[in-house]
Amino acid sequence: MSREDLTMTPNGNVGPAGGPGPASSAEGGRTPASGTGDVARELRQRIAGQFGRSLHIRTLDTGSCAVCEQEIRLLAAPHYDLHRLGFFFTPAPRHADLLLVTGPMIRAMDVAARKTYEAMPGPKVVVATGACALGGIYPEDPFVHGDAGKVLPVDVWIPGCPPSPLALLHGLLVAVGRLAEKTPGLTFLADGETR
Amino acid sequence: MTPLVLAYGAAGGWGLAALIAVAAGQTRRGMRACCVPSALGGAAAAGGGAWALISTDTHVVTLGGAATSGAIVGGSLQLQLTSLAGVFVALLGVVAVAIALYAPRYHKPGRGTGLYLAVYNLALLACLTVLTAGGMVTFLVAWETMSLLCYLLILRHPGRPGVARGAFWFLALSEIGFLLIVAAFVILSAKTHETELGAMAARAHLVPGGWRDAAYLLALTGFGFKAGLVPLHVWLPEAHPVAPADGSAFLSGVVVKIGVYGIALFAFRLLPGGGSWPGLLTMGAGAVTAAIGILYALSERDIKRFLAYSTIENIGIIVTAFGAAMVFHAYRQPALWAFLLLAGLYHVANHGCYKTLLFLEAGVIEHTTGTRDMDRLGGLIHRLPRSAVIAFAGTLGIAALPPLNGFVSEWLIFQGLFQGFRTGSHLIAILIVLAAAILGLTGGLAIYAFVRGFGIPFLGMPRTPRAARARETGQPVAGPGLLALACATLAVGAPVMLAALSRAVRTVTGAALGPLLLPGNLTVIPAHANFSAFSPTYLAVFLVAACAVPLLIYLAGRPRAASTSVPVWDGGIVSFKPRMQYSAMTFSAPTRVTFDALYRPSVSVQRASDDPAGRSGPVHYESQVTPVFERYLYRPVIRAVEWLAGIIRPLQSGDVNLYLFYVFAVVLLAYLLGAV
Amino acid sequence: MPLWFARGLRRGIVTTRYPARPDGSSASLPTPPAFRLAALTRPVADRLCAACPNGALRRENDVLIFDVGACTACGRCADAAPEAVVPSGQFELASTDRSALIKRIPLAGAGR
Repeated sequence: MSREDLTMTPNGNVGPAGGPGPASSAEGGRTPASGTGDVARELRQRIAGQFGRSLHIRTLDTGSCAVCEQEIRLLAAPHYDLHRLGFFFTPAPRHADLLLVTGPMIRAMDVAARKTYEAMPGPKVVVATGACALGGIYPEDPFVHGDAGKVLPVDVWIPGCPPSPLALLHGLLVAVGRLAEKTPGLTFLADGETR
Repeated sequence: MTPLVLAYGAAGGWGLAALIAVAAGQTRRGMRACCVPSALGGAAAAGGGAWALISTDTHVVTLGGAATSGAIVGGSLQLQLTSLAGVFVALLGVVAVAIALYAPRYHKPGRGTGLYLAVYNLALLACLTVLTAGGMVTFLVAWETMSLLCYLLILRHPGRPGVARGAFWFLALSEIGFLLIVAAFVILSAKTHETELGAMAARAHLVPGGWRDAAYLLALTGFGFKAGLVPLHVWLPEAHPVAPADGSAFLSGVVVKIGVYGIALFAFRLLPGGGSWPGLLTMGAGAVTAAIGILYALSERDIKRFLAYSTIENIGIIVTAFGAAMVFHAYRQPALWAFLLLAGLYHVANHGCYKTLLFLEAGVIEHTTGTRDMDRLGGLIHRLPRSAVIAFAGTLGIAALPPLNGFVSEWLIFQGLFQGFRTGSHLIAILIVLAAAILGLTGGLAIYAFVRGFGIPFLGMPRTPRAARARETGQPVAGPGLLALACATLAVGAPVMLAALSRAVRTVTGAALGPLLLPGNLTVIPAHANFSAFSPTYLAVFLVAACAVPLLIYLAGRPRAASTSVPVWDGGIVSFKPRMQYSAMTFSAPTRVTFDALYRPSVSVQRASDDPAGRSGPVHYESQVTPVFERYLYRPVIRAVEWLAGIIRPLQSGDVNLYLFYVFAVVLLAYLLGAV
Repeated sequence: MPLWFARGLRRGIVTTRYPARPDGSSASLPTPPAFRLAALTRPVADRLCAACPNGALRRENDVLIFDVGACTACGRCADAAPEAVVPSGQFELASTDRSALIKRIPLAGAGR
């Protein structure tokens, strides 16, 4: 699926009107937890209950330039301090709850990415971060997929190049349900303007 | 009815088994028929040995003609089953039963098998005679017979590589040891004018101090060759890998213990009253042996060489206990003297059980996978489940992990050594604690070594197709299983065993240890009530119960949802090959780095070309541990002997005229001397 | 070692209070653009699309399609048409729905 296909999706509208979208979030559709029905709400509550105060994060670099990794590394530094939120980094996917993917998903990482995802015990959350992983930088070609969603079922997307540590914190808190996402309500119109 | 009668029964059983083996041992039915009296003899020996522990009947029985005291050559056998020998005889019996259960399924029927089984049963008989020898001549004749029969045992497959060399090392060192033992006995008997062991012991105080020390030193060295004290141990790693599995089990389980019996005989019965230096020397030799044994075990890939070095380590522990006991005796601590003797004897029993078990399992591995190299194995716990469980019981025992018997006996030895301060001399206390520290290092390295020894072959994934195809059908299980059961019994029933041993020790040393050792409640107290206490039975029960708690929690609270099983996490490697796992040598690499002063490893790397890109072809990496004792001790001696022989060789020139001249010269000399 | 400790005490707590309180440094972060509808004519939109190195901005008839996920906040669109583009100041852009990151902005003068 290319970037062109994504822009053609009719679901670009803002507002809380939509229910659960296409079943597979790997196609860029909506995840079950992003809807507004009862099932979605209960799912969000259960995810928040499980992970909200204690989350183990496994980072996966699928070919990035490593600047996203530097920002992720800063999360554990004293200024942003991930640990005060109950979040920890772990190298072992067996101990991980959340997979934080950076990089455009080069094809050489297919097997490793799938193995990492499968080695994580459920319930698990996948977060793609950085413009590369969101499909914004590299088109699909024989060496890269271009988009992390083509190989893994991504639950939360965090834009940025690189995303600042604050953006990453926001994204992780959205992933565990401690913060609400703001993007559906953002219009990117200059102050006060309406459509 | 005395314990000696049961020993006769055992001897009869083994003699009968030898006859059946010669007559019918070529077929599998014949093998099984031969092993029945062998097992019965073993049971009789076990019973006799156990009974001897608690009985005080020690009169000497003379068979076949009167023995005149002072006669060096007699046509009679003098037999006496003492309490000290009781443990060894019982061990001999248990090992004989286990091997009798194992041998019919292990050996391939053929002409060599019949002869081999006959030689083996005769060797059992010879060992029994050594242990029940009441007189010097009987002892020495039986000892030499045992050595020769063991040499034949090792030579089961003479055509295979390494067999002749291993057997030769065994025989050569046995003979040197025998010379020294003969010298020791001759000194003792000349000074006491007796040849019967009991009478020698009674008159030992007549031996002057210098001669007594010389006799002890000769005995320690001579028996040390058989027991495997460093640097006299060189035959063990050569002979054990090439002997058949039950032969190696017999050698490690029984024959080296007979060397230990010899040391105990001289230390506690024949020459008990020496100064402190024989004890310190023994203790030091034992500590060094233990440390060096386990360090070399960690650099071995061959399972049987590894187990051979581990035997050396355990012999070191036993001899350290005996040496410390002698030191305590010299410093007038009778309770600790008796206690450490008891602890050493208990370790003899324990080690005999689990080492025999491990060697028998090594034989099973060799049979099913065709190799003894740990780096060619892996994942055998799935292919050979019953053998894996039994081998695990043996591993727990030898690594001295609770609740099994190795832990109990090592605990006893450590508790005895830690009470070195009771000797009153600071220097001696420090030396004893130093020995305890070396044993502590050994214990830690032993756990490391046996995690490697069990983990690399049994756990993980098979490293070669042959290991992946191993099948357990038709492999012997009853023999090793019996030994595993014996290990568990020795552990859980330790208070009972120790009560029996304390009675034996009381007969030997005269120190009544019973009430101090076991005040009831199945607790063991090391010699003095204000030091420590421990209950092996309760520990075993507690550990089993403690393991049940997480199991119950899991059963009660496990998730009800379906679970999936996914492959082992391998780092996401695209194609994971089993050869990428830890190998035996990489697992023990940290010790080779730390102790490189001992190992002096030599590394050679050869590449096809010097292309730094690295993809220029195969790289050949070879790393070797220097055999320090062989190179720096034995090779110079061998070269000196060869040089000497080279000088003497011209005497044997083949020239008849020269030989006639020799005859003439000797006759002339005799005439001149006669005239003088 | 003691100097490091004293220096730390003098500096006080440097950990951010985010998300309980907004972080002061967030004001200076580079962020995706926000658009002035009134200034978004077709030629301006074409200029913006040509300036974006990633193709995050595309014009489709009278709609400017802005893929927030592809934006690297490089600022070239702001340089190309400063009257139409201001920094949005939005950095909390995480979304559970990839398509919610693709914004459709109608051009000026097009039918409402």
